[in-house]
Amino acid sequence: MRSKKTNMSVKQNFCGRTRREFLWETGCGFGAAALASLLSVGGFFGSSASGAPAIANPLRPKPSQMPSKAKSVIFLFMYGGPSHIDTFDYKPGMVGMDGKTVAVKTFGRGGHKSEGCIVEPRWKFRQRGECGKWVSDLFPHLGDCVDDIAFVHSMTAESPIHGSGLLMMNSGRLQSGSPALGSWVNYGLGSPNDNLPGFVVMLAREGGPINGAKNWSSGFMPASYAGTIFRANGSPLDDLSRPQEMTRPIERDMLDSLGRMNAVHHAARPDQQELAARIATYELSYRMQAEVPDVVDLGQETEATKKMYGLDNDKTRDFGTRCLLARRMVERGVRFIQLYSGGGHNDDNWDAHGDLIANHSRHAGATDQPIAALLKDLKQRGLLDETLIVWGGEFGRQPTAEYGVGTGRDHNSYGFTMWMAGGGVKGGATIGATDEIGSAAVEKPFHVKRLHATVLQQLGLDPNRLSYFYRGLDQKLVGVEAVEAIRELIA
Amino acid sequence: MLSQVRFAIFALIAGAVSIGRAQAAEPSVAFQRDIKPLLARRCFSCHGPNKHEGGLRLDKPEGAVAELDSGKHAIVPKNVDESELVARVTAADESERMPPEGKALTPAEVDALKRWIASGAKYEKHWAFVPPERHAPPEVTNKDWAQNPIDAFVLANLEQNGMEAAPPADRRTLARRAYFGVTGLPPTNEQLQAFLDDASDDAWPRLVDSLLASSHFGEQWARHWLDLVRFAETNSFERDGLKPNAWKYRDYVIRSFNDDKPYDQFVREQLAGDELEHVTDDSMIATGYYRLGTWDDEPADPLQARFDDFDDVVSTTSQVFLGLTVGCARCHDHKIDPIPQTDYYGLLAFFADITPYADVSERDPDRFSQWDMSKPEDRAHRAELHSSEDKIGKEMHAIEEVGVARMSAGEQEIARTPDRSRLIQEKLQQHLNESEWAQWQDSSKRFSAVQEEIKKLPPPEAALALAKCNPRPEETHILMRGNAHVPGDVVEPHFPAICGDEAPKISLAAADAHSSGRRRVLADWMVSPRNILTARVIVNRVWQHYFGRGLVRTANNFGELGTPPTHPELLDYLALWLVDHNWQLKPLHRLILTSNAYRMSDAGNSQALATDPTNDLLWRFDMRRLSAEEIHDAALVASGEFNPKMFGQGYYPKLAQEVLATQSRPGNGWGKSPRDDRSRRSIYMHVKRSLLPPLLTAFDFPDVDATCEARFVTTQPAQALALLHGDFLNDQASKLATRVEKEAGSDLKAQIAESIRLGLDRPASDEEIAEGLDFLNRLTSQCGQKSTEALKYWCLTVLNLNEFVYLD
Repeated sequence: MRSKKTNMSVKQNFCGRTRREFLWETGCGFGAAALASLLSVGGFFGSSASGAPAIANPLRPKPSQMPSKAKSVIFLFMYGGPSHIDTFDYKPGMVGMDGKTVAVKTFGRGGHKSEGCIVEPRWKFRQRGECGKWVSDLFPHLGDCVDDIAFVHSMTAESPIHGSGLLMMNSGRLQSGSPALGSWVNYGLGSPNDNLPGFVVMLAREGGPINGAKNWSSGFMPASYAGTIFRANGSPLDDLSRPQEMTRPIERDMLDSLGRMNAVHHAARPDQQELAARIATYELSYRMQAEVPDVVDLGQETEATKKMYGLDNDKTRDFGTRCLLARRMVERGVRFIQLYSGGGHNDDNWDAHGDLIANHSRHAGATDQPIAALLKDLKQRGLLDETLIVWGGEFGRQPTAEYGVGTGRDHNSYGFTMWMAGGGVKGGATIGATDEIGSAAVEKPFHVKRLHATVLQQLGLDPNRLSYFYRGLDQKLVGVEAVEAIRELIA
Repeated sequence: MLSQVRFAIFALIAGAVSIGRAQAAEPSVAFQRDIKPLLARRCFSCHGPNKHEGGLRLDKPEGAVAELDSGKHAIVPKNVDESELVARVTAADESERMPPEGKALTPAEVDALKRWIASGAKYEKHWAFVPPERHAPPEVTNKDWAQNPIDAFVLANLEQNGMEAAPPADRRTLARRAYFGVTGLPPTNEQLQAFLDDASDDAWPRLVDSLLASSHFGEQWARHWLDLVRFAETNSFERDGLKPNAWKYRDYVIRSFNDDKPYDQFVREQLAGDELEHVTDDSMIATGYYRLGTWDDEPADPLQARFDDFDDVVSTTSQVFLGLTVGCARCHDHKIDPIPQTDYYGLLAFFADITPYADVSERDPDRFSQWDMSKPEDRAHRAELHSSEDKIGKEMHAIEEVGVARMSAGEQEIARTPDRSRLIQEKLQQHLNESEWAQWQDSSKRFSAVQEEIKKLPPPEAALALAKCNPRPEETHILMRGNAHVPGDVVEPHFPAICGDEAPKISLAAADAHSSGRRRVLADWMVSPRNILTARVIVNRVWQHYFGRGLVRTANNFGELGTPPTHPELLDYLALWLVDHNWQLKPLHRLILTSNAYRMSDAGNSQALATDPTNDLLWRFDMRRLSAEEIHDAALVASGEFNPKMFGQGYYPKLAQEVLATQSRPGNGWGKSPRDDRSRRSIYMHVKRSLLPPLLTAFDFPDVDATCEARFVTTQPAQALALLHGDFLNDQASKLATRVEKEAGSDLKAQIAESIRLGLDRPASDEEIAEGLDFLNRLTSQCGQKSTEALKYWCLTVLNLNEFVYLD
C-alpha cells in the first residue's frame, strides 16, 4: 500500500466524488424520495435569500478543478467554414499559381480527389501589429488586435461535412446526442450569474445552422445544461414576454393567488421541498422579466461604443449587436456564449462553394469590425484576461477550385485555422502550419479535441477528469483517451 | 441587477444514501452489498483495475490475497489479524492509515471488512449475474397488511428496520394516482365520482381492471417504451430527414400493450419479427425498432458510420432488453463488468444481416427500410414501375450533368440545391448539343409517363421495417480500439459470457433467404427460461413507472456500476412470477396496483424521514411531478378540448416562429395540423429530432438520440414561463374558462368551484372560493378586465398550481 506522502497527488474523480456517488447524484428521475437527503432542514425559503438554495441546483457555482485563467467563453462560430488561406493562413507561394493543376489530396462534400486547380488567395495580406502577423485585407479592424490573438493554423477535424462537422466542433462527436462544449462547461463550473442562463446561443439573422438545436443540446445530461437561445430582438428568451393582453399587474395578481394556494398545498406536505422550489421559480421568472431585458437594453451604452461595434451600419449591425450583448453577458457572469456568424444555407454563411469573393466579403465584412470592437472593449474594461474568445468554423476550405469555372472552394477538414484571444492565451502567437497551399496541417496538427481541452483547461477544468457517468462509462468531452491542451497557445 | 435569487435550474437529484443495514437483525455481510462498494469508493482509485500501487489490486480475489511489494498480504482469508488491510485502515498513525485522503473508515465499515475477512473474504458474483431465485413471500408480523406477496416483501424489510408502512391514501388521491399511473390521464369528474360512490369491497380491484382495459393504458405505457427505444421520426444530422411510417411502430407498441401481448412475443417481434414462423404485418412493423436511430446520410467515414449504426443497435438492445451497458466494450474489455470486447462483437454478429437504413448514394430508405404491405400483385407492379422510374431518372441525370458541367460556377452551385429543377428547365438546353437535348427530351417524356402510371396505383401501404437484410453477412471482426478500419479476429455470434450460455449453432441461410436467422436465435435466447436478465429488467421497468423509480434505480444498467436493488428478493419474485404468468404484463400491473404498497399515502413522518429519508425501504408512496406529456394531456382534459382519437400519422403542435427560426430552413419538416388534431394526446406528436417542442423539453422530455431509462426531473424557470406565457396553456385556460361559464353559469362562486373541480378533481375549499372571488374582483375592478378575461386568468392560475403538476 501507499504511504501518505505519495498520496498527496492522488486525483479523485470529478469534484472529489466517487463514481458511484456521482452516478446517483446525476442520475435520472428518481423523484421526491431521492431528494430529501440533499435538503437542509430549514427548507428552501429560509435560504434562498442568502443566494444559496438548500435544494441542489445543478448550475450552482462549483469550484474549478485547477487554477483557472478564464471565467467566461465567447465562441464566435464562423458557420459554413471560412477559408483559412484567404483569412489568416498566409500563403505567399500561391501567388501566380492561379489556375494551375496540382496533385493534392482533398476531401470535401464532393468526395475524395487527388488533383485540383489552384484558386489563389483572393485578398492581399499585410503584416499587422507588433508581432507582424500576416492578415488578409478581409480583416482591416481585426488586424489591429493580432497582438492579443494566438492563431492555430494546424487544426484538423474528422468530417468535412457540415452536419457531422458542426456536431464535432460543438460536442466532440460526429453523431448527435452528446452534450455541447457549453453544456460541459456549465456542468463543470456552474453559473455564477443570477438571472441569465449559463449557456447562451445567439443566432444570425440569416437563420439557424444546419442541425439546428442539436448544436447546443445537452445530450445525455439534463436539459438544464442545454444552450438557451437568446435574441436581441423580440422576446430575448422563449416565453419570457407575457402574452400581449396579460399586463404585469394581472400577472402579479395571478402569482399572488398562486403563491397563497401553493402555500396551503405545501403546508400539508412540508417535507416535499420540490414544491417549494417550484414556487420559487415562479417568483424568479417574474423578476427575470424585468431584469433580462436589461441585458438587451443597449440604450445604456454610449454612442461611441455602439459605433465601435458597428451598430450604425446595416452591414455590421446584426453581428455587432450580438457582440455587444456578449460583452454585457460576460459582465453579468454568463459562462458560455456562442455567436453564429451566418445561418441557413449556401451563401448565407461562410460556405463559399460558388463566388468566394462575394461570400467572404459579405461575412468578413459583417464581423470584422464587431469582433475587433469586442476584443478592444473587453480589454479596455479589464475583462479580456478572464474572457476566452474562440474564433473559427467547423472546418476550413480547399486551396483548389470546386468547379471547372469559378473561385468556389469545397470544405477542408485536413487543415484549417482557428484562433483564441484573452483568457490566458499567448497574444501574437502563431502555432502549427499547413503545407504551402493550405491543403492539410503538416506541422503540429491539432484535433478538435485539443481545442476543447484547451478551453476546459483555461476555465480550470481538467479535460481528462471532467466526466459524466452515462451508458456504463465515465463520458468525457474529449473522449476516453487522455487529451492535452494546446500548450503553445497558453501564455 | 443581480438578484438574490438565482436563475437556478433546480434539478431534483438523487442523494447517495444507503440504509443503515447494521440495524437489521442479520449480522451477515455480503460482498456485493457491503464490501465491494466500500472498496470501490475508498480503495480502487489506487488499488483497482487501473492502478496497483504497492502491488495491490483489490478488484480481483487473486490480487487481494497476493503477496504485496512489502512481502505482506492485504487479505488473509479467515485471518483478520494477519490481514494487512485491516491493520492499515485502522492504523492510529495518520501517515500509515489508509485511505490516505478523506476521513478514516467508520467503525461500522471496518467491522464489515473484518467480518467479511473472517468469513473467508469471498468475492461473490454480482447479484444480477446470479440466476433469479425463488423466494416465498416472507413472514411478517402485520399479516393483515401483507395479503399481496409484494406487500410481504416490502413489509418484511420495513419490520426488520423497525419501521411501519404509511397508512393508505384517501380514495380520491388513489383514484388520481391510478388514472395517471395506468392511463396517463386524470379521471373525469364523472369517473372519479363513480369510484367515490362505490362502497363495495372490490371497488378498487374493479377500478384497476377497468383502467387496464382502457385503450389509454396502451398509450401511457407505449410512451415509456418509446423513451427506451429512442423513438423519433427523423434521422438527425443536416437534413434530419423524415423516416416514413415510423408512426406505425408507435401504434404497434400501443396496440401491443393494449392487447396484453406477452412480453416474450413483444421482444421476439421487435428483434426478429421478419424471422418468425408467422411473419405478419405487425411483426414486420415491429422491426422498425432497428430503424429508429439517427442516421448520417453524408458520413465523412462511411465504414465507421456503419459501425456507429451497429453500435446504436447493440447498445440500445443490450440496455433495453438485458439491462447491460456493453457499449464500453466496443473499444476495449469492460473495466468493471465482466464483458470482454469479444462479447460486444459477438452480440454485434447477431445483427450483421441488418442493412444500413438507406443507401447513402440514394438517401432514400425505400429499398432497405420500407416494407411494402400492399397486395402482392400491386407490390410487384409498383416495384417494376419504380425500377423503370429509377432507370430513366438516372439517364436524365447523366445527360443533365453533362450540361451542368458547362455552366458557370454559380449555376453549378444551384444545381446542388432544390432549385436544380428550375435551372434545368431554364438553362439545360443552352448547354447541350442537339442530339443530347433530343435524348434528354425523350427520357423526360418517358419519365413523365411512368410517373403517371405510378400515380394511378393505389397508395402504397408501407411500414418502417427491416425490408431488406443480408442473408449471408460478412464475417464480424473485433475492431481494434473500435476502429472499423482495423479489423482483428473473427467472432461468431455468441451470448455474453456472464450469462453462462453456450454459443448457438446457426446454420448458414439460403442465399436467397430474406435474412440470416441470427436475430431469431438471439430473441429466443433473450426470452428463454434460462435468461437471467430479461424478465428482471422488464418487471423493474413496470415497477419504476408506478413507484417513480425501479427496485433497481439504474433501469438500463444492472451491471456492477448500476445501483443494486433495494428489494432483491422481490425483484426475483416478480421476474419469475411474470414468466409463470406467460409473460403477460397486465396481470403484473394488476398485482402491483392492488398491493397495499401502491396504495400508501405519501405523507411524511418525521421518524421515518430521519431513518430513511430517501424512502429506499418504501415506507410511503413517493409524490411525483407529472411528465411533460401528462401535463399537456391533463390540461386538454381540464379544458374539455381533449380529442381521444387514437393512432395514425403524428400531428404538429404549434411552434412559435422564434423556435422555427433555430432551423437552417425555418419551418422545414414541420407542418400545420388542424386544431382538433392538436388536441390529441402528446404521444401522437410528430417527433423531429432537431425540433423537439419546447413545452415538452422544458419538462424533461428526453434527448431522443439514445435510449432513456428514466427521465430527469428538473424544476426550472423555463417551466414557469412556458405554463404562464406559452400559447398552449393560455389557450387551454381560455377554453377552460368558456367551459366553466357554460357549466356553472354566471355565479362567480359556482365558477370558481367548477374551475377547481375541473382542474383538480375535487371540491373547492372555502378559502379557495374566497381567494377566487377576490382575484376576479381585483382583475375586473382594478385591472379593468372583462369578467370572461378575468375568469381566464383565474383558470390559468389553477392550471399553474403545484397541485395540478404534482401527484400524491
